[in-house]
Amino acid sequence: MDSPLKAFKRTDGRWGLRNHVLILPLHSALSTTARKIADDVSGCVALNHDWSGEVDNDLPRVTKTLAGSAANPNNHSVIFLTLGTDVELEIIKQAKAITKQTIIELSLPKLGSIQTLTEQATQEAIKLAKEAEAEARVPAPWSAIVLGLECGGSDALSGITANPALGVASDRLVELGATSVLGETTEILGAEHLLAARALDEETGKKIVAMVARYESSINYEGIDIRGAQPSRGNIEGGLSTLEEKSLGAAKKAGNAPLTGVLEFADVPAKPGLYFMDTPGHDIEQLAGFAAGHINVVVFTSGRGTPTGSPIMPVIKVSTNTPMYKAVTDFIDLDAGTIADGIETLEETGARIFDEIVAVANGQETKAEKNGHQEFALSRMYETVVPPLFS
Amino acid sequence: MYCEPVMRKLLFLDPSDNIAVSLADLEIGELIEQDGTTIKVLNKINRGHKIATKEIKKNDGIIKYGERMGHATSDIHIGEHVHTHNVLGDRLSTEQVAK
Repeated sequence: MDSPLKAFKRTDGRWGLRNHVLILPLHSALSTTARKIADDVSGCVALNHDWSGEVDNDLPRVTKTLAGSAANPNNHSVIFLTLGTDVELEIIKQAKAITKQTIIELSLPKLGSIQTLTEQATQEAIKLAKEAEAEARVPAPWSAIVLGLECGGSDALSGITANPALGVASDRLVELGATSVLGETTEILGAEHLLAARALDEETGKKIVAMVARYESSINYEGIDIRGAQPSRGNIEGGLSTLEEKSLGAAKKAGNAPLTGVLEFADVPAKPGLYFMDTPGHDIEQLAGFAAGHINVVVFTSGRGTPTGSPIMPVIKVSTNTPMYKAVTDFIDLDAGTIADGIETLEETGARIFDEIVAVANGQETKAEKNGHQEFALSRMYETVVPPLFS
Repeated sequence: MYCEPVMRKLLFLDPSDNIAVSLADLEIGELIEQDGTTIKVLNKINRGHKIATKEIKKNDGIIKYGERMGHATSDIHIGEHVHTHNVLGDRLSTEQVAK
């Protein structure tokens, strides 16, 4: 099947499915300024976060997430807003090492006032957004799609309707030469043996089992009874009884394709195929890992419903049950509840999801994009340490 | 592409399973005859929840999609609601942490 895709070709060979100007504050204190600029200039998005320059054990993870997000191929260009600290400059340096797209740095101490910073950034944003708008999509191969597989607010139908239907779409894309990435380590616990059995080589299989074991021992070490949060209260109301049950259903998003590789949080897949990425169960934190790992489109299945989007990646929402879809059609794109109602087969729903991914890759707006949802959250592993700058 | 809805009340996922998923809200005493099986519903069971399709003994595995998803914390009879009140995950449970 010839690729019907049209996308933005980056000079380093990667493909963008969007072409926005990213306004990226490197200190939480500049988040509001970034948001204002993005709201004022069409074609811009802002990435808001709560990191304030903490130099602690999480620094490498935070740096990797912010630099990786800046280098996502969906960005036409990036405007960094900084307080001019060394850690911020390090993030910019790392981003420049990954992407060849235009990067502008504006520092508050250098410009002297928020007003000047805002004016300068707005001027740059208008100029870059104009450039971005003038750029045309060109025919792209199937490998241009780097799909993220996500689920949140699972119910007992997740593993029967939306997740396996997404698995059908993912399998088709992988077979055509695209990349598909499953995340959420919490949500494959109890199903990792099934993914390991599909690994292309023994090492990959061992790696995924070890990754889940690492997570499991960290939770046991902290003495947390995870059953309070996993499955969540919403999951339990929906009919899921154990974490393993949730995982068996969640893993169905990855279909039956062979597992090409296993990625650490925010790692970039090196070649097409199906991957697993170590991400937390928190939907928005895990989307940040996807964005930093250069995923350019996401399908998000939900049983309970969520309006979540991303500043960087279009997020297609699929409901697992029809009553939820009907209740919140303004933020859910597709309904897979039709499978449980006996109206559609798994393959038919999977084909609809596949077609939607292609349409969105070619520029069709998702509901989260229409609604302006640009959620972003940094994933941290350790206690936050007060930054030296303000202590 | 669309066909007439089939009004199934239960979804059997794998032949080795000892549970089925309800596709409708089930009432106590309801008799379900479907796919060659007859089950009398013993509890009120909401859509999306599980019902026992085989006799399950305490500590037996609960099997869904042909895979073990936890174990029974009490004996469970055919037609009974299978959920957190009589099922516990095998991993990351409090007992395991206490060990």
